[in-house]
Amino acid sequence: MQQQEIHKFLERYFHANGCEIIDKGPGYMTVQLTIDLDKELMNRPFYWHYLEKTGGVPNPMQLTLITNQQLAPAHIKGEVIHFGSPRLHQIFHSARNLAGYIRLYENHRQAPGMQVPLRPWLGMNVRVSYQCDRKRDVFKSIGLQLINGQMVESFHDRLLDMSLTPKIPDYSFTLSPLIMPGSGVFRVANFIKSEIEQEEHLWAEEARKRWQKDLSLLEHFYEDAEEKGESYENEKAALQEQYEPKINISIINGGLFYLTDSAV
Amino acid sequence: MTVQIGFDSAWQDEFLKRIDDDGPWGNWELYKLAVEVENHTTIPDFEGLQAPKHLPNLTPLPHQLEVAKQVVESMNGKAILADEVGLGKTIEAGLILKEYMIRGLVKKVLILVPASLVSQWAMELNSKFFIPAAAQRKSYVWEQCDVVVSSIDTAKRNPHRDIIYSLDYDLIIIDEAHKLKNNKTKNYEFVQNLKKKFCLLLTATPIQNRISEIFNLVSLLKPGHLGNESAFYENYKKDSRSLNDDAHLKELVNKVMIRNRRADTGIEWTKRHVETIPIEFSQAERELYDAVTELRGEGDWVSSSQFSVMTLQREACSSREAVYFTLQNMLKRQEQPSIAFQEKIQYLIKKVEAVQQNSKAQKALELIQTINDKVIIFTEYRATQMYLQWFLKQYGITSVPFRGGFKRGKKDWMRELFQKNAQVLIATEAGGEGINLQFCNHIINFDLPWNPMRLEQRIGRIHRLGQEKDVMIYNFATKDTVEEHVMKLLYEKIHLFEKVIGDLDDILSKLEFGSIDDHLVDIFGRSASEGEMRIKMENLTSMIQFAEDMKEGGLNAATGNS
Repeated sequence: MQQQEIHKFLERYFHANGCEIIDKGPGYMTVQLTIDLDKELMNRPFYWHYLEKTGGVPNPMQLTLITNQQLAPAHIKGEVIHFGSPRLHQIFHSARNLAGYIRLYENHRQAPGMQVPLRPWLGMNVRVSYQCDRKRDVFKSIGLQLINGQMVESFHDRLLDMSLTPKIPDYSFTLSPLIMPGSGVFRVANFIKSEIEQEEHLWAEEARKRWQKDLSLLEHFYEDAEEKGESYENEKAALQEQYEPKINISIINGGLFYLTDSAV
Repeated sequence: MTVQIGFDSAWQDEFLKRIDDDGPWGNWELYKLAVEVENHTTIPDFEGLQAPKHLPNLTPLPHQLEVAKQVVESMNGKAILADEVGLGKTIEAGLILKEYMIRGLVKKVLILVPASLVSQWAMELNSKFFIPAAAQRKSYVWEQCDVVVSSIDTAKRNPHRDIIYSLDYDLIIIDEAHKLKNNKTKNYEFVQNLKKKFCLLLTATPIQNRISEIFNLVSLLKPGHLGNESAFYENYKKDSRSLNDDAHLKELVNKVMIRNRRADTGIEWTKRHVETIPIEFSQAERELYDAVTELRGEGDWVSSSQFSVMTLQREACSSREAVYFTLQNMLKRQEQPSIAFQEKIQYLIKKVEAVQQNSKAQKALELIQTINDKVIIFTEYRATQMYLQWFLKQYGITSVPFRGGFKRGKKDWMRELFQKNAQVLIATEAGGEGINLQFCNHIINFDLPWNPMRLEQRIGRIHRLGQEKDVMIYNFATKDTVEEHVMKLLYEKIHLFEKVIGDLDDILSKLEFGSIDDHLVDIFGRSASEGEMRIKMENLTSMIQFAEDMKEGGLNAATGNS
């Protein structure tokens, strides 16, 4: 992430959370936090607890973030934000946390008077992690139409091209799903799993080989010992944790999307 | 090939609940941002380093990046990092730790370092790597913090020990790991019983004396890598000092150990300037020295080893206070000292009392005044240390003491005082290790240690990465004493001071002839005459030179590093 991207990202994040940016210039911004975002980011539970008990006037903090030290005026004091900074990762985490579940409607521009049916879709953005003593991740976005079971990939990218709104637009009605959301999630999970199973897992084979090799060394080391003892068991368990290949599917976010027929 | 696939079902439960409750639903902009975050933070490849992108304020050197990459990609996260002193092993370890944390492979981390380095490690991880490492101060820290820095001596004691054993660590880092070379110690046992998924052992001197040390170290990291104990010693002589004897063994070790040398890194190091300053005894000092030397001829009354005489001689070269302290101890140690013994001690104490000034201290004072900058004085003796502090104060020079025995907080405090408020730091031998003082570039060796490795450690405190100036080393050697002999014959002849660190352990590990200390005791303690002493000394130096030549020959022939 370039510094400029970070700057843009932060603006959007605060804006989306209803915070006013009270001062900004090249390379920095000062944000007036809302009460919710103060609680989310500033880690001062005692203050908020105290305030709620005493019924005082809440005074959420202002936050100055510097995204480019070269550009920002020298008198601006604030937190320097870069790709590795804990504050940015806290905000990353928060974005994920605050928008885990969503329901949106396609904001279609149909001529008034005509009732437009909107079909229910389940959209899920997932991370597939391949893990042994190393790790790699793959992002997948799957959409499942909850009436006919149609499954599409890169669903999120398609959504980005549409106009979506949290309220159902006028002259629209939603069709009821035939596939219940619960079993929809199940289908998506199975779809991803079957895709994964068709892949070649050379990495896992290699990891098992490394595991086996270290295991046989360990056996050899304790060969002469009558009582292998705790350290042997520990080492053995550690090798399993280190090498055993696993794949984890975790969900970043997802939700229900009501879309026109022509949308997908 | 089937791989177990896990699916996180927590999301689904909450999703269905929100459908039932008709919300609350997230904001579309935030939803999109979350996916963007994901795209910025997924790591599509097993290979490659992510950490540098997260560390804009740190510019790792090429060899450090290479080490991190190698450990993660081809050593499966278990390695002995054995770069020479001052090449930044801490940075390497930090990079590896950061890499694993970014990739989500490591969460719970235990870092065991010498007590004097605990705060420094915690501080560096926080400020350079943005890793929230906590220095262990209270026992709840173990459970509450994910990354904990502690000394091994604290960690191995209960209640800490039990708590640590009950926790599952993903990564264990041990600094100054050469202290674990003996597999009979409690520390070794403690570390052996830790569960080590990923593990980094940091040491600048993987072999100090014998090959068994490397066996113990490797077995801690990867049991069986060098075979089991009996098989190993069948194949390799236990007392063997050289790894290079056996190409196969060397290759095996290189699979778990990375060693960079200064020369390989291509970094421009600041120079070392070494100046030997001969010290002339005053009349009274000379008499004390001679009186102590005469003890050797006195037969068995002293009933202690020759070493005591040696010690007294060396102390006489340092300060009268050091001699006095030892004499007192000698007297105390005898339960019923004979009259003759008491008289002798009294006689020597008279000689001590006759000494009115310390020639070395005078010289040190002059030097410090001319340098007019921060100076570190190393001495082997605590009595000298205390005397020097008092002495310098008489002339308005501020100094702080430093000893290995100081508690962690006190060490940090002293270092800080030295950096900000005092001109001089006076350290004893034990204080030499585990403290970085790059902000200073003058060292006075008030007296010389006999083990050249210790000397290297002294110099290594300031001549390391981060030192911007040339380093000045002043060696005090009193004329016509054992000190001058050691200085002239040993140190100067093999150009020890100009040597860069790693060469030395190489050279020493090639010497199949016992420890330098033993040799020196023999030379100075058991020689009947000056002549014998000189001859033995020359033998020793030529053996060292021989080993050195061997090394240089070997270096030209070898392709990799050993």
